[in-house]
Amino acid sequence: MAATDAAPAVEFHDVTVAYGRRPVLWNIDLAVSAPGLFGIIGPNGAGKSTLVKAALGLVPLAGGSVRLFGRPLAEVRHRIGYVPQRETVDWDFPVNVMDVVLMGTYGRLGWFRRPGARERAAAREALDRVGLADVASRQIGRLSGGQQQRVFLARALAQEADLYFLDEPLAGVDARSQERIFRVLDDLRRSGRLVIVVHHDLRSAADWFDGVALVDMRLVAAGPVGEVLTPENLRRTYAGPLDVLDELGRAVARGGRTA
Amino acid sequence: MTAFAGIPHNTLVVAVAVAAVGFAAGVVGSFGVLRRRALAGDAAAHATLAGVVIAFLVTGSRDLPTLLLGGFVAAIASLGCLVLIRRATRTRDDAATAIVLSVSFGLGIVLLSGLSARGVPGAGGLEHFLMGHTAALTAADARTLGVASLAAVLVVWLGLKEATLVAFDPVFAASAGWPVAAIDYALITLVAGMVVVGLPAAGAVLVTALVVIPPVAARQWTDRVPSMLLVSGMIGLAAALGGVAASALVPRLATGPMIVLVAAALFAVSFFFAPRRGWLARRRSALAAAGK
Repeated sequence: MAATDAAPAVEFHDVTVAYGRRPVLWNIDLAVSAPGLFGIIGPNGAGKSTLVKAALGLVPLAGGSVRLFGRPLAEVRHRIGYVPQRETVDWDFPVNVMDVVLMGTYGRLGWFRRPGARERAAAREALDRVGLADVASRQIGRLSGGQQQRVFLARALAQEADLYFLDEPLAGVDARSQERIFRVLDDLRRSGRLVIVVHHDLRSAADWFDGVALVDMRLVAAGPVGEVLTPENLRRTYAGPLDVLDELGRAVARGGRTA
Repeated sequence: MTAFAGIPHNTLVVAVAVAAVGFAAGVVGSFGVLRRRALAGDAAAHATLAGVVIAFLVTGSRDLPTLLLGGFVAAIASLGCLVLIRRATRTRDDAATAIVLSVSFGLGIVLLSGLSARGVPGAGGLEHFLMGHTAALTAADARTLGVASLAAVLVVWLGLKEATLVAFDPVFAASAGWPVAAIDYALITLVAGMVVVGLPAAGAVLVTALVVIPPVAARQWTDRVPSMLLVSGMIGLAAALGGVAASALVPRLATGPMIVLVAAALFAVSFFFAPRRGWLARRRSALAAAGK
């Protein structure tokens, strides 16, 4: 943890989020401190991405609050980096790899100022770290899925943040890109940053993360990997309402036969 | 060259100004297309007719800036209706756009035919806003359109970084604190303004083509936003000049349809012959891959 940050890097206080009338997250209380590599894990539709979006102010909170480094989001935006899901953009858009990575510097530049030598150097360094320096001038549609994901990671690195949120950075990514991405994230952790990753693969979770949160609309458990990823917790996370209905249905059917 | 000297001064001024309008339409329209707002622009374009006629009814003036201001107000009002219909009724985007487009255009046609049926003095010529007619422009009007076009290009150049960011990845832009909704409104307002400036040249029905076809054609030739803007502007310029030439040579010919046809021809060339993205190039690389 950086000496100036007494408060946790991320704190969710009783956060509730709803899309229309449908609740997606209920009463989430979670605090994570830097440094670390922290996984948010849960089934599809559990609200993992929404939790990250709530932290970034991208979805309105129906209740509760979020503090980053002990402050409201607006005061610390420049310390936050974000990697959205890869499918959220049109990869046929007329920009090349360098253009996209430079977008990571736009927040620092502010209105109407164009990227200069310093921003280009930062973008080139970020591309180097993710191993894409040789495709800097390629149109982004002519990259593999893993390369596209690394472009997004490089853009986040160019944000030069202290806290990173990554939404499914390994979805549809080849093994080589996966290795490279985790090495970069590990470097960030070593340099004192907190990296929060929405992740779907339970098997790799234990290998990579220091801490995890199991989420299924509610926070099932959070803490060090060894304490959280227990069979009991996993069963509670992945046995959603559908499975409950399923069990209920089978019980009723059995009841019918015996009667 | 002898023909050049034979062209009246007024026609030359109009040609230069309308060329500027075509260029600006290509540039501004690029962001409309990249942000997927082409249909909203079309609704705004059709609404301008009602605005023009209402401006004439209210002021009794045929002064071009006055009429275009009316068109601009109507364009913005139609976009406002679009947002309201979507929010209040949960109607889907395409349906809401179709409703706003047809209703506002219907209103414009009713007002226009009402005027001509009653033979309101001074109303003659308003029908030019339906299909465009550059031969009727005065040099002073043309200059106004040219200056407005240059202003629109300057605004795009100024906000190039912000507009590109929001058009490409609005979610990331919002996460970095950019006011995405405000930038979106600014972009669509600019497109609406451009549609209004293009109105005398292309008319309410076809002016959308001037802000949509050039960007789509330009995308075929380039992989970067700045060069796309430039190519799109040049295609818009060529289409506008084609329309002006036809309008000047054939006295009763409307400009709009001619502009659209020239733009469509340039689009067809781009679609087939552009390097790499063109149909021929893709066909050739597919054959080469199959031959391997």
